[in-house]
Amino acid sequence: MKRRDIIRRAGRSLRQAKARTLLTSLAIAVGAFTLTLSIAAGEGSRQYADKLVGSNVNPRALFIVKDNALFDGGPGQSGLREYDPDVATNQGGVALKQLTQADIDKLTARDDIEDVQPIYQLTIDYLTIEGSDKKFVSEVARYDSSIRNESAAGDLPPLGTDLDTQDVVMPESFAEALVKAGVATSVQDVLGKKVTLTVAKPASQPTDEQLQQALASGSAAALQRLTRGETKEVTFTVSAITKQSSTALMAGTAMQLSSEQAKSIADYTTQGTSQYQKYTSATALAKEGKEPEAVKQALSDAGYPAQTAKDLQNLLFTIVNILQGIVAGFGVLALFASVFGIINTQYISVLERTQQIGLMKALGMRSRDVAKLFRYEAAWIGFLGGAIGAGLAWAIGTLLNPWVTEQLSLGEGNAILVFQPLPIAALILALVVIAVVAGFFPARKAAKLDPIEALRTE
Amino acid sequence: MIEVKSLAKTYGKKQNVFTALDDVSFTIPDGASVAIVGKSGSGKSTLMHAMSGLDRPQTGEVIIDGEDILQLKAKEVDRFRATKMSFIFQSFFVQANETCYDNVSLPLEIAGVPKKERRAKVQKALEAVELADKIKSKARNLSGGQKQRLAIARAIVNEPTILFADEPTGNLDSSTGEIIEDLLFDYNKKNGTTLIVVTHDPDLAKKCDMQLFIKDGKIALATEHHEKRPTVKKIPVGGRRVQA
Repeated sequence: MKRRDIIRRAGRSLRQAKARTLLTSLAIAVGAFTLTLSIAAGEGSRQYADKLVGSNVNPRALFIVKDNALFDGGPGQSGLREYDPDVATNQGGVALKQLTQADIDKLTARDDIEDVQPIYQLTIDYLTIEGSDKKFVSEVARYDSSIRNESAAGDLPPLGTDLDTQDVVMPESFAEALVKAGVATSVQDVLGKKVTLTVAKPASQPTDEQLQQALASGSAAALQRLTRGETKEVTFTVSAITKQSSTALMAGTAMQLSSEQAKSIADYTTQGTSQYQKYTSATALAKEGKEPEAVKQALSDAGYPAQTAKDLQNLLFTIVNILQGIVAGFGVLALFASVFGIINTQYISVLERTQQIGLMKALGMRSRDVAKLFRYEAAWIGFLGGAIGAGLAWAIGTLLNPWVTEQLSLGEGNAILVFQPLPIAALILALVVIAVVAGFFPARKAAKLDPIEALRTE
Repeated sequence: MIEVKSLAKTYGKKQNVFTALDDVSFTIPDGASVAIVGKSGSGKSTLMHAMSGLDRPQTGEVIIDGEDILQLKAKEVDRFRATKMSFIFQSFFVQANETCYDNVSLPLEIAGVPKKERRAKVQKALEAVELADKIKSKARNLSGGQKQRLAIARAIVNEPTILFADEPTGNLDSSTGEIIEDLLFDYNKKNGTTLIVVTHDPDLAKKCDMQLFIKDGKIALATEHHEKRPTVKKIPVGGRRVQA
């Protein structure tokens, strides 16, 4: 019997039992629906993550450290070990190897990277805003010129250009907080205001001579001054307010200033301590024309573990993959249940059509072809279920997409469910295969049927 | 020519053994009409199944056109049935949900006849049984006689050399049964197809060229009887002479 005729006959048998066919395929449709949504959500999330990374991180950007434990998530070295002045011991006894100024110089001297910038640990005592004597605290960070920022007010320097040394940029949320605190009348009003940062130098160990002098003066104030350490004030002008972009990865919760100022503040606040000119990490750009991945390898070989923008992307993808895997797991479970549905339906179908099978075999149909007939019926059920499930998922997903985008405030033009024909076609194909596998035993039963038994009347 | 040589078939084991066919031998010339007559349980159906290769007797030969079909592989027996044999059953076994066209087209599909050639053959077969106007009707809408005519169309569509009819009129009233009998014998005469009718109806058996009476798995009597030539002639059966 020709394959096409078998497929046609299989389709016709199913049409003759429409309700049963539909119900059986609906079981598969549930699995197909879930899996289609999980594929679409995975694809959508990946595209979104791609967009996030693409608009936040320069693809040439490299994140360089001295201690690989930072990437591995490992606790670094612990236990009893020899003292190393370059190792910072954090709370909990976790030690991290740090980049020293010499390392930074070495990195700057390399010919495959440029714009090497250490990540400064910036701490301030407090800050004040012009026109008010209220004191505020906030995080302070170096302005990252390699990422795209959107301005809510004021002008930001073009991509790749640093802020002016007297300028500071703050996120919109800060400006709003200032408005709430009554320091400014509106977000626009914050622009151009002077911001004064008060930074403190750690107290240095006073020498015996200084102590004696202070004691000799007999004043407690002199002694206090000695141990408190000095402070300094730096004043900036708010040159821009950054918008909380829907695709902004870093939530922008820091007051940002130029690299030069950041360095001077960091140096000031760590002077005389073991942290002076030590950095846990640095950023750099792979030079134009250099493959970031190759540069990363070269840096690692030189003792500076690094990560590229792609690694960051992969990190996001890992999270997406895990979430997608969970959803897909439910889909697979539903499919697993539907497999038994197919087996059951097909067994009943074989029983019901005993005479038909007997007749076909008496007419010279080969057992193989009888088995094929039932396998193709199962395949049709799988196809139908897959098509119904995927079609429904597609339709509902497309309808829901604008609402989901709004609910998650993903920003215009972003969709969390992205349907692509190819993976869905592959899914349906896989379902057909699963259905055929499920139909294997009923098909074998049909093939093994004895035509004489089957045709025995009454 | 169909030669059946010392065919034996038993069911069951040891004490429960049941002999369905016991050393059956006969010869059917090409184009003959043969009635296998016997009571229920006499072994007549088993004989038909063995002759069509549906059943495998323990011993014996069924030589059709010089080939022992009992020695053939399953695939070849299937091929044999698909191209050279066909069947008509007491309960018709037409597919009620399918159209007449699809019912008749089934043997052609099984035999692998290309789609282009099928249409004309189906049309011709349905015309032969006067059901051409029902080509698109569902088989369930046919009367009993029409269903059996449809079954005949299905049986003759592939122009078989041997046509087995198992109680073809058993489920029909006598006048409808006669129409079916006429169709079968007409086809047998016109096309030279060997017609093998399994029946317990002596009237139907009389219309055949040859009768094989089966009792307890043995051929009790073999006669050659022609309507035109109503003399009963003894013929040799299975190596021994049987009295008429």
